Amino acid sequence: MATFTIDEVKKTFSNGEIEEEILKGVNLKLKEGEITALVGPSGSGKSTILTIAAGLQRASGGEILFEGKDMTKMSQEEIRQIRATDFGFVFQSSHLVPFLTVEEQLQLMLDVAETKFNKKEQSKAIEEILELVDMNHRKDAYPSSLSGGERQRVAIARAIIHRPKVLFADEPTASLDTKRSKGVMELLQELTRTLNLTTLMVTHDEEMLPYADRIITMRDGYIVE
Amino acid sequence: MKIAWKEMKKSKAKFLILGSIIFLVSLLTFIISGLANGLSQDNAALIKDLPTGEFYLNKDANQTYNLSKIDEGMQKQILIDYPNATAFSVQMGFVNDAEDKQHSIAFVTSTESQLFPTVKEGEIILDSSLKEEGLEVGDVLTNNQFSGEFVVTGFVDQQKYSHAPVAFINMTNYQEIYRVMEMQAIFIPGKETPTLSALDSFSNKEFLNAIPSYSAEQMSLNMIVWFLVIISGMLFAIFFYMMNVQKIGLYGILKAIGMKTMSLFKMIWYQMMIITLISLALSIALSQVFSFVAPEGMPFHLTMETVLPLSAVFIIVGFIGATISGFQIKKIEPLQAIQQGEM
Repeated sequence: MATFTIDEVKKTFSNGEIEEEILKGVNLKLKEGEITALVGPSGSGKSTILTIAAGLQRASGGEILFEGKDMTKMSQEEIRQIRATDFGFVFQSSHLVPFLTVEEQLQLMLDVAETKFNKKEQSKAIEEILELVDMNHRKDAYPSSLSGGERQRVAIARAIIHRPKVLFADEPTASLDTKRSKGVMELLQELTRTLNLTTLMVTHDEEMLPYADRIITMRDGYIVE
Repeated sequence: MKIAWKEMKKSKAKFLILGSIIFLVSLLTFIISGLANGLSQDNAALIKDLPTGEFYLNKDANQTYNLSKIDEGMQKQILIDYPNATAFSVQMGFVNDAEDKQHSIAFVTSTESQLFPTVKEGEIILDSSLKEEGLEVGDVLTNNQFSGEFVVTGFVDQQKYSHAPVAFINMTNYQEIYRVMEMQAIFIPGKETPTLSALDSFSNKEFLNAIPSYSAEQMSLNMIVWFLVIISGMLFAIFFYMMNVQKIGLYGILKAIGMKTMSLFKMIWYQMMIITLISLALSIALSQVFSFVAPEGMPFHLTMETVLPLSAVFIIVGFIGATISGFQIKKIEPLQAIQQGEM
């Protein structure tokens, strides 16, 4: 059953008097327990649709239905609330907080999501997630002492620690070598299945496509395949 | 606010630099305030130590204390109508000791009152600072406009006027020295004081400002104090602005994952409070030490009544400075930060 529906979403950017339509009516249904990969050339609008779906920017038209509610009609605060509790984010760069240890990064996310865990439950949740991403042995390390692959694994752990329903991954392997990229994708695939996540991923790396359950190709603001 | 504390721990040098600047600015502010207070005591302790009440001067004096003369009949009637009222005069002068050494003083005389010491004719009570000039109880002092002699009968603490030690003398002796029968002012203590239509009335603060040089002296020092307070606020604004510019990417990501903008403001306020409280605690402690080691003769008087409100002002100004710098956080777009790459 689809929990996330993108219906006729349009996005227009205006630069002075010139208006450019980046998305020209995109329709997409995301399914639980599946990785949907968005591919396409630069400027096709794949990253724009991901950021609009994630509530990081507004659509110029159309509807984004999350659990039956239209996000385009929500206030900024309502969207922030959804981002904090129901969405998880993995970016191209890990974007970890430089002055927090691995464990503290996850604690921070639990605080942001306002989970009602007590201290013991919080520690247990962190331990479980670090176990899943195989980073328990580096829980006291700061981002500066982690490798690129480790940092991305911590970023994934941060994205799912609060048990979101939807995971958005924008080129999650772009800054990694092939071996580490495959490791991260295997992890995303496993987590999507075990945690029943609805995952939307943007990638330009064809080697990562076998890990996706569905591949959507975009071109010039449309879904073409 | 663990995140705020963690950042301070991880970036010790940055916060230590700001903290030490705030410490130095607040220390300087406290020291100048201590000097302002000390000079104020030195200039007008005689008036400042009087209880809350109302001072009355002759209307013709044009609000200038030195020119005021209260009509004798009017004074008599006021003292009958208001038994706690007292009439008094203060004039600068000097006395010579047995070795003919001259001591500059402010002669003070008053009608019988609990507010001023009662002095018999030929007696004189001096401010204790004159002990340092070698005067003792029993010493005989003279004045070239006084036919008799003054015998020192006692000392009082912290009684100064116009930077000179006060000398309390009997009214008759005062009238002989200054060839004047009228008193200069009337003081009625209490919060509910009468309006005397024939006289100009002044609150304690207004009367202090009527003392020549008092307001000019205090105004310049207070101006320095307020400038320093404003500088500290600007320091916070500039420091946090620079920090925020460096952390735009981080704030954007935190906003993207759902952190409230208010939580980011709280982070700045928490850091501002920690820096300010530690800096203030250190500068308060050091300014108190300074009051003990200040060179002799330096008029330095710093009480908690001055320090605590000033500390509160520092915190408020720091809060305003940090908040102004935080407005840029509101404008940060998460998307921009994501597109910027690694922080």
